[in-house]
Amino acid sequence: MITQRRLDRAAYILFIALILLAPLVLGDFWVNRIAKFLVFGIVAVAVSLCWGYGGILNLGQGLFFGAGAYMLAMSLKLASATSMQQGSDHPVPDFMLWNADPGAPTELCCINRGSFLWLPFQWQWFGVVMGILLPVLLAGGLGLVVFRKRIAGVFVSVITLALVLLVRLVVIDAQPLTNGFNGLTDLGTFHVAGFGFDPYARATYYLVAGFLILTLVGSRLLVETRAGLILQAIRDDQNRARYLGFDVPIYQLFFFTVSAAISGLAGMLYVIVAEFASPTFMDLSFSITMVVWAALGGRASLLGACIGAILINVIAASISETATFVEAWKAIIGVVFVLVVLYLPRGLAGFAQDFGERLERRFADSGKTTTPGVIPQAQVPRGQAP
Amino acid sequence: MSLNRRSLLKASGIGASTLAMPYFFHRSAAAAEPLRVGVLFSLTGGLSIIEKSLSDATMMAITEINASGGVMGRPIEAVLEDGASDPKTYNEKASKLVIGDKIVTVFGSYTSASRKAVLPVFEKHDAMYFYPTYYEGFECSRNVVYTGAVPNQQLSNFIPWIVKTLGKKKFFIVGSNYIYPREMAKVCKILMKQNGATYVADEYLELGDSEWGSMVNKIKNSGCDAVLSNVVGDSVVAFYREYKNQGLTHETLPICATVTSEIEIAAMGPEYAVGSYTSFPYFMAIDTPRNKAFVQRYRSFVKDPKAVTHHALESSYFQVFLWKQAVEKAGKATADAVREGVRGQEFDSPGGHVTVDPNNLHTYLTPRIAQWQADGQGKIVNAYPHPIEPLPYVAYGETDSNLFCTRNGLDVAKLRKS
Amino acid sequence: MFDVIFIGLSLGSILLLVALGLAITYGAMGVINMAHGEMVMVGAYTTVMGGLWLHIGFLASLPLAFVITGLLGWAIERIVVRRLYGRLLDTLLATWGVAILLQQAVRLEFGLSFFGIHIRGLGPGLQNVKVPAWMTGVVSIGGDQVNIYRLFIILVTAALTFVTWLLMFRSDIGIQVRAITRNPRMAAACGIDVQRINALTFAYGSGLAGVAGVMMSGFKTVFPDMGSAMVVDGFMVVVVGGVGSLLGSVLSAGLLGQVNGGVAAVTNDILARAVVFGLVILIIIIKPTGLFSFKGR
Repeated sequence: MITQRRLDRAAYILFIALILLAPLVLGDFWVNRIAKFLVFGIVAVAVSLCWGYGGILNLGQGLFFGAGAYMLAMSLKLASATSMQQGSDHPVPDFMLWNADPGAPTELCCINRGSFLWLPFQWQWFGVVMGILLPVLLAGGLGLVVFRKRIAGVFVSVITLALVLLVRLVVIDAQPLTNGFNGLTDLGTFHVAGFGFDPYARATYYLVAGFLILTLVGSRLLVETRAGLILQAIRDDQNRARYLGFDVPIYQLFFFTVSAAISGLAGMLYVIVAEFASPTFMDLSFSITMVVWAALGGRASLLGACIGAILINVIAASISETATFVEAWKAIIGVVFVLVVLYLPRGLAGFAQDFGERLERRFADSGKTTTPGVIPQAQVPRGQAP
Repeated sequence: MSLNRRSLLKASGIGASTLAMPYFFHRSAAAAEPLRVGVLFSLTGGLSIIEKSLSDATMMAITEINASGGVMGRPIEAVLEDGASDPKTYNEKASKLVIGDKIVTVFGSYTSASRKAVLPVFEKHDAMYFYPTYYEGFECSRNVVYTGAVPNQQLSNFIPWIVKTLGKKKFFIVGSNYIYPREMAKVCKILMKQNGATYVADEYLELGDSEWGSMVNKIKNSGCDAVLSNVVGDSVVAFYREYKNQGLTHETLPICATVTSEIEIAAMGPEYAVGSYTSFPYFMAIDTPRNKAFVQRYRSFVKDPKAVTHHALESSYFQVFLWKQAVEKAGKATADAVREGVRGQEFDSPGGHVTVDPNNLHTYLTPRIAQWQADGQGKIVNAYPHPIEPLPYVAYGETDSNLFCTRNGLDVAKLRKS
Repeated sequence: MFDVIFIGLSLGSILLLVALGLAITYGAMGVINMAHGEMVMVGAYTTVMGGLWLHIGFLASLPLAFVITGLLGWAIERIVVRRLYGRLLDTLLATWGVAILLQQAVRLEFGLSFFGIHIRGLGPGLQNVKVPAWMTGVVSIGGDQVNIYRLFIILVTAALTFVTWLLMFRSDIGIQVRAITRNPRMAAACGIDVQRINALTFAYGSGLAGVAGVMMSGFKTVFPDMGSAMVVDGFMVVVVGGVGSLLGSVLSAGLLGQVNGGVAAVTNDILARAVVFGLVILIIIIKPTGLFSFKGR
């Protein structure tokens, strides 16, 4: 057990060192690309926290990612010099002008019915705060109802799935306010105290890497607290936890909300790195892809899920940029995925854990029996809620 | 649609093998250092239904140029990437091409969403993007060459013609729910007003949705006498089928479309579209030897004797030649050289003579109206005598004597007055 | 008014057509088959290929598609799903991989496109399906015009539902399936060959998707990604209806179809979709186990 812990810690330190040192050997393009993948790594941590530790499979993680992304993108849109110079003395996003009714005043307050909502976003930090707050509020509101009603398993998945599709539909339809299908593009640069984060700069990479480390370590510490242990108990048997007197919905709600906040943070970072926000962030396929990352890396391991996300994206990028596989890469990803679910049900982390245990057994006292350090797999009641 | 990728890349890159093409590759071209260009379309995902053909047409042009000696004696090497029908992937691949591979010119994109997602990469790193699709306008980038139609090139003859020749006065405007159809609807309304026609409804369906029951029922009960369709993508097929299935005919209530192309007609079966109209600068049926030869070459290139050509495909093809001429004019292939070289560049494309506007880098195209026939081809019933000037800001009062988008970029003051 | 109700009915029948197979694989077997939409797609391509290469008509494609997708489903059950019983969410993930694989197989013409071989009817583009002339247009019933194709879909859906009901509730195999649904171990202890019945059930559910694919091909667009949106709708219908309840699926499909058609008629199609999603969320929150549900398994 002790060896296992030590190995675990070593893995974290190794990973952190690796992402901190990576820019030293990478070119501009790869720094930016890996930064994007690190963002996906943050998302995978959120999925793992919610699914692997809480047993709540959220098929609408993209909703929180998208909410975070749009909030910051709105602020950056108003900070963009080019998109401002479109026929108004006051900052009005270009798309609002071309969606405006003839004769509407070209002012942000009243160019269309909802445009006043954009007003506070002129202050960049409002966007940043909303990027966390909106996902938290959404998740809090949803979680309050869902977990109080003791909805669990696949039903939570369907609710989140329907919700993300609903919001996506509304965002696309509210074109005068959101620029619809094209999303928010042509954004300004994210500034902190006068320093601009260029997407291809090392500084931006370290901004993302810093938040990834923070999220990873923070989540890890969180699941080791008493609350985290209770959450895992709830995952393994909700009813038993309830009989023991724990207020199950509170714990579920808390971790669901934390997971949403992390996704929102990731959404904001993605906007800084990729320079756009798009309703495709709320596509069902993207949300499922997030779950896939976590499953590949190992849903019940925060670090595993994170590495899974980064690894699968690096592999997908490399395969799809090989001339031979440019059309077939998706098929290869599909095959890899089926194989992992079939043969590595606990993902890469599970594989590494088994390997670690074998090491441990070799080095451990032969007289002492080892307790497997395996975190039990997410057990979700099949079909029906209790 | 298929092509032998490995041999194609080899052919375009090193010029070593012969494809099923009526050309032979010159060994001499292989000696010089190749010029690298990017080709970025969706080869996977929902949009590959159309973008694959654009990618093929681009590769065909590159292969042909290589076969005839390359650009300034240098062969073109195409770096093919897959946008996967996802703006995220588009953005990533664009930065791979421009920043990772240091490629200056990329041909790509079908949807506006994907173009908007890659635009910051090209603008901030000064690379050139050749965009072959008809789009909504309202863009004035010095890093994009637009070779597809803008609203005035599809609508300025279409609406007056429908009103005068067909005698239709009450339109039902229907489109997919995103910027292009909404912007087209806006221009349509302006033109309808000018021509003394009205519209009874302006309705949208989610992009990619193919459930038309309610919408067609509304059309049926609306009392309109023509339907103006800006429906995009795979929904088009379902729309025309539902139209006929609910007992509507194009004889009494014709669909006049701005996006329905040969691809969708072939997919729905011509019997559903006979008698309806589409406005495009290019149709497969254009009766010139150059176009017929083009269709033949394309079919043998993709090894599909039934493959169809369409407007965006033709633009994908000729824009490579515009780029070639620009590079040859400037003598080098840097972004500045291409941008300045391509201004005013002319080419005899399969669809007719095209010219790049020296001001806004859009392309002069000839608006044509076709009526779909039982063989799946459009019979051209009306055409402009000459190519007309592209006006990306036509919905905001831009005219050919008062351009908003010039060499110096967008004139904000003019836009403000509108 | 009649036309709006008819469209609602038709929307419901289309939902049910897709959901029927899911209701079986998910309801009875506890497998979330994300590749179900791709089974619909394979059914549609069977119609395309059958017309091009075998010169069989639209209606003759119905049994052919049933057999082909049934066999494909059987193979998927043997290779992938069999190892995942009891791991509900893992079935979702694995079949998602299968779905991607099937899409790419069709798009890349089973890999033949790499060798420069083109098979007509496959590939990334849109495909055309010929529909018999008598199935297009309208027929007059009691003074109201009725869309023949949609009427045909309603009839086919009704027939399939009836056959499924017969199979599940009036046949020996149905009894075994229902026994497995309630408790697989007990069923096995009673001498039921659980593996065989599961494989058959999955094949039947997939076969239903194939039939749905043929029907879809006649009035929607045939291309490799056509199924991915359908599976979500179908899945919602099954969950709202109550897992394992055939009647529940029928009623929830009817309800969602009518709501969709009604709202679309009064306002617009986009709002109608939004209302349907909202309704799904609301129903699950109010009645977390769906409109009708069994306890068990």
